[in-house]
Amino acid sequence: MAEPILSCRGLTKRFGGLLAVNRVDLDVEQGEILGLIGPNGAGKSTLFRLIAGIMHPNAGTVTFGGHRITNRPAHDVCVAGVAATHQIVRPFRDMTVLDNVVVGAFFGRRPRPHGPAAAREAALAALRFCGLEGRAHSDARTLNLSGQKRLEIARALATRPEVLLLDEVLAGLNPTETDQTLELVRTIRSHGTTIVMVEHNLRAVRGVCSRIVALVNGSKIAEGSPEAVLNDEAVVSAYLGTTHA
Amino acid sequence: MDRRTASLAACGVALAAAIAVPFVASRAEYVLDVLFLVFLYGAMATAWNLLGGFAGQVSFGHAAFLGIGAYTTAILTQLGISLWIAVPAGALLAGAFSLVIGIPAFRLRGPYFSIATIGIGEATRLIALNWTSLTGGASGLTLATAPPLIVQYFAALALCVVSVALAAWIKVSRFGYALAAIRQDPDAAETLGVATTVAKTQALFLSACLLGVAGSIYALHYLFISPDSVFGFGTSIGLVIMPIIGGLGTVTGPLLGAVVYTFIREQLAATLANADLLAFGLLLIAIVVFEPRGILGIIDRVRSGKKPPPEIAAVGDG
Repeated sequence: MAEPILSCRGLTKRFGGLLAVNRVDLDVEQGEILGLIGPNGAGKSTLFRLIAGIMHPNAGTVTFGGHRITNRPAHDVCVAGVAATHQIVRPFRDMTVLDNVVVGAFFGRRPRPHGPAAAREAALAALRFCGLEGRAHSDARTLNLSGQKRLEIARALATRPEVLLLDEVLAGLNPTETDQTLELVRTIRSHGTTIVMVEHNLRAVRGVCSRIVALVNGSKIAEGSPEAVLNDEAVVSAYLGTTHA
Repeated sequence: MDRRTASLAACGVALAAAIAVPFVASRAEYVLDVLFLVFLYGAMATAWNLLGGFAGQVSFGHAAFLGIGAYTTAILTQLGISLWIAVPAGALLAGAFSLVIGIPAFRLRGPYFSIATIGIGEATRLIALNWTSLTGGASGLTLATAPPLIVQYFAALALCVVSVALAAWIKVSRFGYALAAIRQDPDAAETLGVATTVAKTQALFLSACLLGVAGSIYALHYLFISPDSVFGFGTSIGLVIMPIIGGLGTVTGPLLGAVVYTFIREQLAATLANADLLAFGLLLIAIVVFEPRGILGIIDRVRSGKKPPPEIAAVGDG
């Protein structure tokens, strides 16, 4: 097997007495769509934040493309090539949709566009990709939730990531929007970007992910093909309660 | 003619008029004196706005940089050192000081940063007050000779033009996007690759250097400086008020604010002591209540004949 593009070893994060992420090992293969599932409070989003450098772990390492990125600040991780979307959308509300994405294009992974015109061109391409080009000149605050989720993805894509971390981009979307977003995720992958997605929608996960990791109470309890993980006894009992069997 | 060409043309006309004033104005002495202040305050407000408006890091201690520039020039000229060395030295010293305070201050966010800057401003005032051997303490410093008024006038005009041009360039540049992103959501900016602390420090440094030059011009104009005049809290507050009046985070707003500020200060303070402070208080309340985007917001409203958008970036935004 080829060297994983992103890997975590013994990643641990405590909040006071709470062990949010407990010695998690995670390998992400180049070009896959990896699903990260688990009940509320399992530590999925915290794990994402540790990888993206938004939070720093108490122990363990994160390696990306053969380089340690543990404890690097978030902007460094993004420039290295790992981009993350926020679970709660965080658009720059008073900027236009286009300008939001221009920020990602101007910064992010090298090589960067030279000058404002090139950055706008790159941003427009990311918007077209996400189906938002019609709203390019609207203020970001005027988008509905589905639009703001797409804007999160477009902004992250504009940073030219090798690995894209998607944190519950389907939450709050209706079935049509969900299908459109899943199609978008597949397209992004087909352009060579590796994707890790935290997702509650198990039907969606089954449909799009090539592999799944399940977290419960901060620990990894299962890993493998969607079928195997979703039928795993420990995973089922974590979702439905132990009395089920 | 599109908007960009139109505004460039307007700037060109205004600049030509400002250059012509000393040669055509009757009562030139008085007119030059008032316009000198407008340009000096305009430059100062524009400099403050780079950090406070563009990046949303509201500083109440920017008098520190003005004071460092003023004192450096006063002390160096007393030693017989040329202005060509003294003025850049003042700017660089103010810039260097900004780097020293930026490192701890930028660990704080929003109101906490603002409160820390009050402390920084007051600390520099107290140092100027008590380091008597260097600064003369409360009795201040007196400069021997001033350059002719017309030289002062063109110095202030040049600084103002440089500041506004710099602001206009930053606004549309990569750096400007970083500052705007920081103002709206520093965490989201970080995850998009913006090194927020570096960008804020750069904005603070530019702002401090420009204020250092302004401080030198101030000292050369009044020929007397004291801790309370250049390092005073009132000076810091003035730097905050002008951009708010004109339009926080805009390119030309601070200069418009400086026009209003200079007029109120010079006219009202002369007729009734402290009346200017009352006027600023009322003006700020009116702006916050009716049009937080300041004069430029009013102009925008008149032009488009529309109500302001329901959500407006307020002073404390970010």
